[in-house]
Amino acid sequence: MEQNRECNSMDNCEVPSKKVIEFKAPVYEQRYYFVKNLVNRHGLRKIADLGFGDATLLWMLKYHRCVQYLVGVDIAARPFEWGGGRLSPGVGGYIIPRELDLTITLYRGSAVQKDSRLCGFDLITCIELTEHLDSEDLAKFPEVVFGYFSPGMVVISTPNSEFNPLFPASTFRDPDHRFEWNRTQFQTWALDVAKLYNYSVEFTGVGDPPAGAERVGYCTQIGVFQKNIAKATESSISEPEEHAPEEHVYEVVYTTSYPSLQQSKYFRLTLSSESVKAIGLMKSRFLRGLRKREGDRVVPLGSCTPQFGLTEAQRAEIEQSPKPYSVGEKFYVPLERLIIYPKVDHLVAGSMEKLRTILAEGLRLNGDQSAVQVELVDYQTQHLFDEHLISPVLES
Amino acid sequence: MSHRTVLFQGLSPSRSSPSGQQCQAEPGPEPEAEPMVGRPPNPRHLEPPRHLEPPRHYTEPEEAQLVATLQATSVKERSRFGGIFRDHVVDTRQYLDHVRESTAGTQGRPVKLFTNHFRVTSRPQQVTYKYNIDYMPDIEDGKVRTELLLQHKALIGKCHIFDGSSLLLPHKLLSPKMELVSLLKKQVVKVTIEFTSELMPTSPDCLRYYNILFRRILKMMELEQVGRNYYNKREATEFSDHNLVIWPGYVTSILEYETSITLCADVNHKLVRMQTAYDLISALCDGFPAKQDLQEQVAKQLVGSIVSTVFNNKTYRVDDINWEETPRTTFKTSDGAEITFVEYYKTRYDQVVTELNQPLLISKGKWKKSQRDTPQEPVLLVPQLCNLTGLTDDLRKNYRVMRDLALHMRLDPEKRQHELQKLMNAIQTNKEVQQELQLWDLKFDASFLSFSGRILKEVRIFQGRRVFDSHPQFADWSKETRSGPLLNVKSLDHWLILYPTGNYRAASFFLQSLRRVTPTMGISMREAKILEVSDTVQSYTTALENHVSSKTQMVICVLSSEKKDLYDSIKQYLCVSCPIPSQCVIARTLDKPQTLMTIVTKLAQQMNCKMGGALWKVDTGLQNTMFIGIDCFHDIVHRRKSIAGFVSSINQELTQWFSQCLFQESGQELVNGLKACLEAALKLWCKHNLFLPQAIIVYRDGVGDGQLQALLDHEVPQIESSLKSVYPKDSGVKLTFIVVKKRINTRFFVESEGRLRNPLPGTVIDVEVTKRQWYDFFIVSQSVKDGTVTPTHYNVIHDTVRFTPDRIQCLTYRLCHMYYNLPGVTRVPAPCHYAHKLAYLVGQSIHQEPHHSLASRLFYL
Repeated sequence: MEQNRECNSMDNCEVPSKKVIEFKAPVYEQRYYFVKNLVNRHGLRKIADLGFGDATLLWMLKYHRCVQYLVGVDIAARPFEWGGGRLSPGVGGYIIPRELDLTITLYRGSAVQKDSRLCGFDLITCIELTEHLDSEDLAKFPEVVFGYFSPGMVVISTPNSEFNPLFPASTFRDPDHRFEWNRTQFQTWALDVAKLYNYSVEFTGVGDPPAGAERVGYCTQIGVFQKNIAKATESSISEPEEHAPEEHVYEVVYTTSYPSLQQSKYFRLTLSSESVKAIGLMKSRFLRGLRKREGDRVVPLGSCTPQFGLTEAQRAEIEQSPKPYSVGEKFYVPLERLIIYPKVDHLVAGSMEKLRTILAEGLRLNGDQSAVQVELVDYQTQHLFDEHLISPVLES
Repeated sequence: MSHRTVLFQGLSPSRSSPSGQQCQAEPGPEPEAEPMVGRPPNPRHLEPPRHLEPPRHYTEPEEAQLVATLQATSVKERSRFGGIFRDHVVDTRQYLDHVRESTAGTQGRPVKLFTNHFRVTSRPQQVTYKYNIDYMPDIEDGKVRTELLLQHKALIGKCHIFDGSSLLLPHKLLSPKMELVSLLKKQVVKVTIEFTSELMPTSPDCLRYYNILFRRILKMMELEQVGRNYYNKREATEFSDHNLVIWPGYVTSILEYETSITLCADVNHKLVRMQTAYDLISALCDGFPAKQDLQEQVAKQLVGSIVSTVFNNKTYRVDDINWEETPRTTFKTSDGAEITFVEYYKTRYDQVVTELNQPLLISKGKWKKSQRDTPQEPVLLVPQLCNLTGLTDDLRKNYRVMRDLALHMRLDPEKRQHELQKLMNAIQTNKEVQQELQLWDLKFDASFLSFSGRILKEVRIFQGRRVFDSHPQFADWSKETRSGPLLNVKSLDHWLILYPTGNYRAASFFLQSLRRVTPTMGISMREAKILEVSDTVQSYTTALENHVSSKTQMVICVLSSEKKDLYDSIKQYLCVSCPIPSQCVIARTLDKPQTLMTIVTKLAQQMNCKMGGALWKVDTGLQNTMFIGIDCFHDIVHRRKSIAGFVSSINQELTQWFSQCLFQESGQELVNGLKACLEAALKLWCKHNLFLPQAIIVYRDGVGDGQLQALLDHEVPQIESSLKSVYPKDSGVKLTFIVVKKRINTRFFVESEGRLRNPLPGTVIDVEVTKRQWYDFFIVSQSVKDGTVTPTHYNVIHDTVRFTPDRIQCLTYRLCHMYYNLPGVTRVPAPCHYAHKLAYLVGQSIHQEPHHSLASRLFYL
């Protein structure tokens, strides 16, 4: 059986006992940043990392706004180690939800096993994976990854053996490596695979060679495979489901889904939170500034728009909208005003109806649903007394 | 943590969370001096220092429980349980011959109780094997340590528990010592696994591992770990109006008690604020256009608070604000590149910093007692990417917020049981969890542990010629105490009232009412000198300087609002420079005609105590005994010196107390100060009674987890040696030393009419959930109207008086009836509570030693 590498961040190619070569950033980090940049540049949504090891790459990718599905597969994955770890949304993820959903799932399984849940991805990465495969598995690998999973892109990175003489040790970079290819070997293999499965491939790498040794090439060689579009249009979306019956051989060891603005609960929470913040600022200006009575309403004489965090133009626009007012002990902010606040506007994309419906779920609106109603003054607690004894902060 | 100061800081870094505030679920609504929000009218506490201070500077027991603050996770898992476990293996009972047979009493009426403990019904019966794990080079981070070890999981096996430095296995490894190589990024780390010992199934060390296993189980149940505890984000409750969210969660521990091992589980809440530090700064920007005001306000609101970063959920304590720099400032990354904060967060976390003009927050790193001497690189944080945690002063003062939170977080016994039962059911039905538990053959009972407790007799209160019992259910005698003369009255002959312009009405209401209520109490009063001042510190102090004379007995300051600096200055002046008992009252509190009389009655009583009078007494049944209470205040915001209050009785009736303070530099031990305090206390007792007390009984509160051994090794011997130096040889003076703990997770319930309820005040528990190697007991002394009552734990660690369990329990309960600021039963014995009040006033407001001439009066009430 092949062995996926245990931890993709932990290959020891940069651990010479004598420090012969020092890379500016560790090469493993450069590899991850290579993938990160690729994901960012193409706005990739659905990504799988085969042999995810300690999940560092997945963790780095989870921050991308465009990413919505992250999957890791590793032969050595264990259920226990992931719960509550750095892949989980944490408190921050709930307070400031992502724009788009994100689901992270980790499987225990091998890169030469077919599992239909890995089909239809935008990108599959195999970072320092292939060199751990024995010849039998290496032979199966292209059929599984390119033929069966058939993602839009594949990134394969592997050591460049031409670089090895620069290291003090003369053997492989890791005792578990079955082989280390030179550039020709890798490129020949890659081109064959690409041709067979209708991908095009470009070669690059990370870990620049030191000055004077440029001829050896990068420390890590990388092949970026792209599915040929002509073929893809007819096959990519429908094909996997058609020809691949559901086949679940991988075992789920961890899964989590992130709160996002696509989920009504978190959208509501975020919208009301932004609204409450804006209303709070208006209210404190209202209370500080001069105001006059107009019928049963008290209206501000001055501006109720915060000076901070808004552009001139935004402020001017807000100033022209209906002003907040108070009636009795309640303070009202017209939705027409609220919706001009950039963050609110952004969330509801200009839809008054949306603002109204959603705010009504968490906050209180006035009778004709044209304004949000909040308490005008915050009542202070009186540690001594009970409810009937509380008194307003503002004493006239 | 204000009152759990570690006195031997050098010895134990166990409680190192900077916020320190255990977000205990439950605002245990004890009717202590400081009533909770939303509690029924109960003017228990007239002078309201709490009105005047930003409460985030301290944690009152009740407040602390409402205040859910992010707790910093300790770096290494191995230190997490250290404290409790260190305490639990200290055998203090071995030296106490007189309770060798039993530490259980018999007095009182038996009652069937339930507790939030689940018995462990099965656990490994075989020997397990403990291995020590070493890293070369050393690795700090617990998670990384685990990761490095688990690179060898094929070798270790599926069934293992790792605490960060040692590994427990059910089987022996092939070789007693193995050197393995793990890889961390580009580094080789040598991991040495070395056999250390075989653990018998009964070894207390096993329990530590079970706790780690249990935490793993909570993780598996998709509970989010924040700090020490686990929260269920799926059952979050939103408070949209306040931009707050509350997550329910649990706090658990598996420990060995009298006859069995139990899992103690309690409900815990996490308060999440939907607000970033930038939101707060921008709100302040709007309110304070002047740069200097703004900076002052921002510092006031943010410094000392704990923020958590949006992207990776790390918590930091804000130590300062850097107004010179913005997110556009560059810094050097680990690889030496210069990069702006904006670029850094964009490339690393895809976080867009939109506000380019915000200042930066400075954190000096985590506050760890053990590392206090090592300078740490300050961390710069972008406010927009920092979530605020915990409650602000404003929120805390906001009646609606506090009411809503209290309603939600305060669980009555029924609801609490329901929540805990839910957890147990989930554990029993989760397949993965059961698999993991089966590996270790661990099983838990499905329902609350039940046993018998006892309800002590009501305590008799003596007030002059009048005698009455405390109310059996409400533990209260406020009606009785105000309807007759006080025990010992001080007349008001020379006194001042200061009121700010515009508050004449309040001052005159106060005076009129005082005239009406004082005759019943037996207080005679002459006309006060009434002074109008303007609403500034300067004005108050000038008036005081001009009008206070050596004859002045009492100064009353009416304040227009809750201004901490004004309150602090008045208290500083009248406690240090010009020592006169004083009473501050906020004008607003005198505004309500319907409660004015109650309030003024309470004020009159309080003033009487401050001047040296007494309200009532109880019979302790002990003669010639001096009682001492010790509690600590620890200023976590300003990291000032810790303060220990040391309060000792002066007379036989326990109506007069001698109050001293100990200032304690960080890392310094209390010991030397203790000696001086004790000697002064004995001297005064002797002066009053003409002989030295035959016994000293110390109630020691404010002890952190893990400090028990230190108390035994240092404090008790120090007190003993001080006694030796004061007393003649063979004087036979006795000493009893009792550790008091208020913050515990154990709760008790009674069942009546098919529902769980709070036990009655005076319920004593000394079986099942006490410890075999301790002389300990619980008392539920206070009564609560809502929520679940929190019992107080007492541990007698030294006792040459040789108290029987009945006597010490009864005595302790009686002492809970002696706190003059509350005509009711308090949660801790009066001397402890006095010590708490004193340390708190000094730590919060005065910051210096109060004048010695005040020391024999309860000037800090």
